[in-house]
Amino acid sequence: MHAILVEKVTKRFRIPTERKITIYENLIGLLRGGAHAYEVFDALQDVSFSVKHGETFGVIGPNGCGKSTLLKVLAGVLYPDSGRVKINGKIAPFLELGVGFQPELSARDNVYLYGAIMGLTHKDVDSRYEEIMDFSELRRFENMKLRNFSSGMYVRLAFATAIQTDPDVILVDEVLSVGDESFQKKCGEKIDEIRRAGKTILLVSHSLDTVRSLCSRCLLMKSGKMMALGETEDVLAEYERMRARG
Amino acid sequence: MWIVEYRELIKILTISDLKVKYQSSALGFAWSLLNPLLMMLVLYLVFNNVFKGNQENYALYLLIGIVSWRFMANGTSSSMGAIVGKSSLVTKIYIPRQILVLSTVLSSFISSLLEFLVLMILLLAFGVKISANVLLFPAVHMIYFVMVYGISLALSSLYVYYRDLNQIWEVLLQLGFFVSPVCYSISIVPENYIFYYMLNPVTLVMQIYRKTLLYGESPTSASLIYILLAAGILLIIGGAIFKKLERRFAEEL
Repeated sequence: MHAILVEKVTKRFRIPTERKITIYENLIGLLRGGAHAYEVFDALQDVSFSVKHGETFGVIGPNGCGKSTLLKVLAGVLYPDSGRVKINGKIAPFLELGVGFQPELSARDNVYLYGAIMGLTHKDVDSRYEEIMDFSELRRFENMKLRNFSSGMYVRLAFATAIQTDPDVILVDEVLSVGDESFQKKCGEKIDEIRRAGKTILLVSHSLDTVRSLCSRCLLMKSGKMMALGETEDVLAEYERMRARG
Repeated sequence: MWIVEYRELIKILTISDLKVKYQSSALGFAWSLLNPLLMMLVLYLVFNNVFKGNQENYALYLLIGIVSWRFMANGTSSSMGAIVGKSSLVTKIYIPRQILVLSTVLSSFISSLLEFLVLMILLLAFGVKISANVLLFPAVHMIYFVMVYGISLALSSLYVYYRDLNQIWEVLLQLGFFVSPVCYSISIVPENYIFYYMLNPVTLVMQIYRKTLLYGESPTSASLIYILLAAGILLIIGGAIFKKLERRFAEEL
């Protein structure tokens, strides 16, 4: 049984040559003729791989290789044009922290809101609320409106809540670089703890050191295509060769 | 089923929508109830004196029309922006996107219930006899809710692609206000148009409210079945449009 199964996934973006976002513009466009003026761009081409339960899997590649698109397809934000994605278990996508926070509500209300977005019930959050406040070190500010928070406090609150969702599969997009140095360390330790607890992690990273130390297997991508898939050391070596070739 | 699974999120989004709506002005809550009353006053002065309407109990007749129309108008126009206005919940994380529409419609629904509560108090104050037919109100309002939700699903997903839809919808709502019997009696509608006139489900909903709340009569079962069917069809069409357009939401926002 795989935690993540990706089969022949292709994602194609349409890039309109002329962006029409109103009915008016579309009508004018029809009158002029040539309604479908867009170019296509293949962000993912025929990508297949699987990740076993409890495995930490890395995705690497140069900018624009399709890593983020892949992560969004896995998270369910984007639909693949063809192919299939299957995820077994509860998924926590850490694509960006603090999604859905409302600045006009208090920190406390936002914890409950964010918890609900991540699929927790009110009771779940109740029982974890103390831990969230301790981890984020923001107890003093729990009744303050979020718009008065600094960006560091904002991210701390988000990470502390998100990490409490008890997911089976975690998707991480460079999220380890949040807050100040001591908080970064704390987050890193927490992720490591989750990894040791036998959860599945899919990590997208530019830091080859992070990938080398955490991941057992890796996928290397370039221009939406799979370049290499296998043991981390082999894939990293292939990446080095690819970069040397330019 | 996403409604059950994400009930907590639906609840929180609905409440926070209400909080934001009512906290943004100090008199927020009072205003939202005062608004229909003031509107009734304006329309009453215009129609009762200028057009010499002869509808009995015209003030209350008008108020029921306004309050029930407001749910359609406010519900659809506020939920049109549900997807666009919460784009981060679409592009950065996965939740069933219908939740965003459902929670804004629910928040309008709750506002509407409060308005109806004030209406009931006024009915009693004006000495209207309340009959057992009032008990039908929750069921009819639920059906009306499904109608508004179905339309909102279509509007909110189309709005992602066509950003001038709100302008067009505003005009259509204006039209709807006058082709529904909000401020006049159905008896003034010419006989050869009445069949088409009655196809508008909002008209039927309004008439059912007036019958049950103001006149203490039972609605015909045909009218109940018709609005139930209309609600079902609107939900299916709205849901299908939403489902089809949803696939590219994250790319368009």
